[in-house]
Amino acid sequence: MKSKRVLAALLAASCLATSFTACSGDASSSSAAESSAASADASSSAAEGSSESTGLMSDEEIIKKASSENKVGNWGLGNEYEIQALLSKYGLPTDYITMDFTMDQIDKDTITLASAMTFNELGLIKNNYDGGYNYGDEIGVIDMNDQGVAMLEDNLFCTKEFAKNNPNTVKAFVAASMKGWTYACEHPDEAAEIVFKYGSSVSADHQKYMASEVAKLVTTDTKGKAVSASDVGKMDEDAMQQTLDLAKQYIKLDDATAADKLAKLTLDDIRSSDYLTYDGGAVEKSDLKVQLKWLPQAQFMGYYVALDKGYYKDNGLNVEIVSGGGDVSETVAVSNGTVDFGVTWVSNLINANAGGMELLEVAQVYQRSGLVLCYKKSQFTK
Amino acid sequence: MKGKVIKNIITTVGLPVLFGALIFTLWQTKVLHTLFKTDEIILPLPTRIGSIIGDNFTNMLPQIASTMIVALGGLILGSIFGYLIGVAGAVFKKWGMGGLTIVSAFNAIPLVALAPVINNWTRDLSSVVDIRSTVAKIITVTIFCTASMSVNAYRGLTEVKPFLEDLFASYGVGKFKMFFKLRLPNSLPYVFTALRVSVPACIIGAVVSEYFAEQVIGVGRQIRENIIKGQFPTAWAYITVACVMGILMYVILLIVEAIVLKNRRAR
Repeated sequence: MKSKRVLAALLAASCLATSFTACSGDASSSSAAESSAASADASSSAAEGSSESTGLMSDEEIIKKASSENKVGNWGLGNEYEIQALLSKYGLPTDYITMDFTMDQIDKDTITLASAMTFNELGLIKNNYDGGYNYGDEIGVIDMNDQGVAMLEDNLFCTKEFAKNNPNTVKAFVAASMKGWTYACEHPDEAAEIVFKYGSSVSADHQKYMASEVAKLVTTDTKGKAVSASDVGKMDEDAMQQTLDLAKQYIKLDDATAADKLAKLTLDDIRSSDYLTYDGGAVEKSDLKVQLKWLPQAQFMGYYVALDKGYYKDNGLNVEIVSGGGDVSETVAVSNGTVDFGVTWVSNLINANAGGMELLEVAQVYQRSGLVLCYKKSQFTK
Repeated sequence: MKGKVIKNIITTVGLPVLFGALIFTLWQTKVLHTLFKTDEIILPLPTRIGSIIGDNFTNMLPQIASTMIVALGGLILGSIFGYLIGVAGAVFKKWGMGGLTIVSAFNAIPLVALAPVINNWTRDLSSVVDIRSTVAKIITVTIFCTASMSVNAYRGLTEVKPFLEDLFASYGVGKFKMFFKLRLPNSLPYVFTALRVSVPACIIGAVVSEYFAEQVIGVGRQIRENIIKGQFPTAWAYITVACVMGILMYVILLIVEAIVLKNRRAR
């Protein structure tokens, strides 16, 4: 009798436990699904009841309204500086609400002005795939480049010491990687398929959407001018300086030593364009690892293309791509020698160098900011 | 007798302090860095961490206050809730054990899974982010603190010495009175046993729940932000603050426990 009761209790407990794991499992699978959404034909999926752009507020009015309601969203963790620069530009407090890695908050209106990367979250909120939010043209966008607060994002970096000791390796790696990026931007669909083959975190359709959007970031600068294929990876002086200036203004450091170092940083402390051309010299180190900033996806398609097409092998390199994600810190991984190269945002590199690391950007892949604030037009009609 | 007390103090206070001093020395003289093959960026020197705390203490206060509200709120609610479950289990013996098993199962849910789920649940609670985010964090800590209290309260309420039960019964004491005069006082030491687990746990719970919160505030949030941004000295400063918070609360608990249980032991 007693054993029966214990059994029943155990059964009840295990039922509860499974229902709970199912629940938390749901949360994570929905975040996976959010990524698997999106289509390349965002515009053709067009939502009904849009196009009443006549009554829409101006960008400034939208930003002010969202800020006054404390409904501006960002992920934080070093992704917030452009948003804070934008808020400051309009004389607003720099507070924001933390977004998780889904777009549920804008969907449910707990955030009305949400951060999104053009190549990822923006596709998810607009497109109509399974797990997507299917808002189509109902979604409006405020572009950081247009607002003059763009900071450069995905780059390629290593430690200063590594660059000094292995100049040919760095040059060979950069050259092969940029060749991969050039090819990927010219053939985004094929690049998306290659990324998918190498263990994608998102669906094939979203990968294609992402590849086409990333190509735009690599081949267009902050002012909207085209960047030629041979210039992929170049460091635009003005855009780099703007990134550094904004970083100095909005990176707030409690550590007095680091804050002092940040204030004194110049472009020469964080980047060198000496490694952009490779003349075929023998490489000092051939086995290399590159740490991505996030999970495998078309955001990093150039490296996967270079690997797949054998561009690295052609330069005598044996490259392993290490995916990131979650709380993996690419700056730490490179700084302590776990990997040789890393992909990060310029602001993260500035932050890390202020904190005492000695990192050096050797190529700037994204030529314009991919960060936008997106909103439902219905929330901001006059 | 006196010698024994002194010996006690040496072993309970002296040795841990000595050990702490040893670690501090090894750390400051960078022996630890060589030992663990790490550098001053990842593991800054204690003096640097200390100076950051000193420079920013006033800035840290709102972060500490926020974490403390969440930790204490969750601890109090979780303890009350847990005790009530224990009482319910002791009163309704038939399904008491089963209910406690379920509560223990709750305790097995990892905090990192629980926090985001509760964030989603509380999203419609209020349009003010500070309110709904604080509530979400407190609920997370509450669940984290409930289980140990309920299990211990149940044991304290039911594991009464049989002869006392017989004695009370022989006096013709009713169940209700026996509960208040015998079972409730009997459970007090067990409550402190539970608190010894849940007091440090509530700080951990608060810190981790801040990782996932919508609000950009709290000691835990600062730890995560600074680690990801490569600002390890500042991250360590907040880690130290979190440790001190936990230790202080534990010390307060021990003092309260000594005062409350002293009379009982003497009797």
